[in-house]
Amino acid sequence: MLGSKANLDTKFSALKTAKTVVTGTTLDSNSHPNSNEIKTDTDNELSMLNSTINSNNSGNTNSNINSNSNNNSNSSNSNSKPQSNEFVRKIYGILERGDYPDIVRWTENGDSFVVLDTGSFTSQILPNHFKHSNFASFVRQLNKYDFHKVKRTQEERKACQYGELSWEFNHPLFKRNQEANLDNIKRKAATQKKVLVDEKSLLLNKADGTQALENESAMNLILNNTVNSESFTQLKKKVEKLHKEIDSYKKENDNYKIELEKLNNKYYTVLESLLTFKTVNDNLIGNFNTLCQILTSQGIDLPQSIQYSSPQKDLKLLTTESSTQSLVNAQDSTSQSTPDNVRNVQAPTNVPIPDVIGGSADINSKNDDIGDVDSNELKKGFHVLLVEDDDVSIQLCSKFLRKYGCTVQVVTDGLAAISILEKFRFDLVLMDIVMPNLDGATATSIIRNFDNRTPIIAMTGSIEHQDLITYLQHGMNDILAKPFTRKDLYSILIRYLKDRVPISDQKNQLQQEQTFDNVRRSPEVHEDSQQQNIPVMMNDGPPLKKTRL
Amino acid sequence: MSIPKEVIDWNILNEIISMDEDDPDFSRMLIMQYIDQAQTTFDKMQNELETTKDLSALNSLGHFLKGSSATLGLQRIAWICEKIQNLGKKQSNEVIPAIDGSNDKVYLEMISKALDQARVEFKLARKELSDYYKTEL
Repeated sequence: MLGSKANLDTKFSALKTAKTVVTGTTLDSNSHPNSNEIKTDTDNELSMLNSTINSNNSGNTNSNINSNSNNNSNSSNSNSKPQSNEFVRKIYGILERGDYPDIVRWTENGDSFVVLDTGSFTSQILPNHFKHSNFASFVRQLNKYDFHKVKRTQEERKACQYGELSWEFNHPLFKRNQEANLDNIKRKAATQKKVLVDEKSLLLNKADGTQALENESAMNLILNNTVNSESFTQLKKKVEKLHKEIDSYKKENDNYKIELEKLNNKYYTVLESLLTFKTVNDNLIGNFNTLCQILTSQGIDLPQSIQYSSPQKDLKLLTTESSTQSLVNAQDSTSQSTPDNVRNVQAPTNVPIPDVIGGSADINSKNDDIGDVDSNELKKGFHVLLVEDDDVSIQLCSKFLRKYGCTVQVVTDGLAAISILEKFRFDLVLMDIVMPNLDGATATSIIRNFDNRTPIIAMTGSIEHQDLITYLQHGMNDILAKPFTRKDLYSILIRYLKDRVPISDQKNQLQQEQTFDNVRRSPEVHEDSQQQNIPVMMNDGPPLKKTRL
Repeated sequence: MSIPKEVIDWNILNEIISMDEDDPDFSRMLIMQYIDQAQTTFDKMQNELETTKDLSALNSLGHFLKGSSATLGLQRIAWICEKIQNLGKKQSNEVIPAIDGSNDKVYLEMISKALDQARVEFKLARKELSDYYKTEL
């Protein structure tokens, strides 16, 4: 008997030194990541094992192995000297001495105790007496000893004399001045272990002979329900690592969000300044052209390459912006008759519409204020895609376009526009916004995935600032406000097609076009340079934009 | 913004009529087409008001007719169409009788009134155009 006891004890201490963690049910409930709690629970389990041994050793004083077990407990279990319910006794001691009346004390009638201030309890009492600072863990331990929190309703809690946030616990045997009862407050064993203990005590009462064997099997039971320290630490490390990772990802994510917001703000600022800039730039180009025309009309020969100004020229003009601006305004007031046109500040609208019927020879005579407008003439044969769902608008717009020598292809919604642009190339696209099946803005953003070169002009009645930004965001180049006059349409054609060679004619003009290109922007000459240059006016912009932005 | 004074903005229409130079009858055919389109649209609106009562459909129809009306300079019709369009979006400057803004019925009734007004304006424009072309359009 004594041998077998020793056997059990050795095994136990071996178990303990190996820091084996009893888990079984515990591990499951402790997938909870707080390693502190796991640790506490580990301690609990160890102390529970202690109590198991104790109950084996000393809990059966009435049995026939009485003396043996007493000896055993004295000789081998110095660490089990404290009572099995030391935890409960500690609390009892604190309460009886009234160490912290403001934090924890008996209730008035002394059959329960109340934690008045969980914060101070956690920061002061737990570290001093229970070697941890986790209130939840304390409560759990209480529950294991069959203590229960006294439940209160919302109203009761408010009316509670110990304060709204107090925690009251009771146990039927845990009462003021009744220390003797403490012996009977025992830790609830998890069901599995309870069986174990019961079996053991039963065995102890029964036969000594089989004791060793039974203890062995009990030990195996425990071992089967344990995880060794190695894997436990591994798991713990893993959990800790995961936590760190999550934290870092959270931080990263927050940073990204902030950055995205910043970028968005910047984007809109840039976009707006671009819009402003574009207007200014167009004005300047218009002025410059006017200047060139006047110079030409006064008999000064200008090299053709200077017509649309090199970046340096533009910059020069930019510095005298205020004066040219006023010039533009002056011209506007005299020549504009369509106040609802967004682009009516644009210089090209100042150019009288050439009468196609009369032929280009008539143009000069019709222009009183501007002499030679040869440069403003539109070449014939541009292929324009008209995307519009309203028959009246289609007829009128295509009529206008044909009058300016364009060939017109009509489709009536955004989807059709996409599919035709996938197959054919156009010099210009005029796109309605509100259309069945797919609106013009969305269609444009899709088209821009495969075609970045063809100028796409929005034709729309809504020309709010926000709408303009939306259209540009979708990749549209410009806006033609509805309803538009012939002049408005012409100014758009001029802006995007002036000095362009229709795609259909490009093969013939290849040589000339490339010479042009070399003069203007030599680095960008490559295979399809003409296509790159479709919106000539636009392409004059970039160098300036770069310097500006 | 109140409704334009003149039924027709002749600045716009004259420009279209000037296209007749090389294509006689161009403007008149265009207007005939518009008249057809306007009547169809009015009928569609009426149908929406009586059956499906779909405000967003009325918004689209209003937008559609507003576009072609404005293109031809028929500014009073365009103005009313815009009003219908806005009512379809549940926007109105006028005081809504019922506080309950979610009540489509109020807007449907207002659109119904606007549609009657649009038909009147349409008749006026049609008469003025018939006078100009000296033929019944």
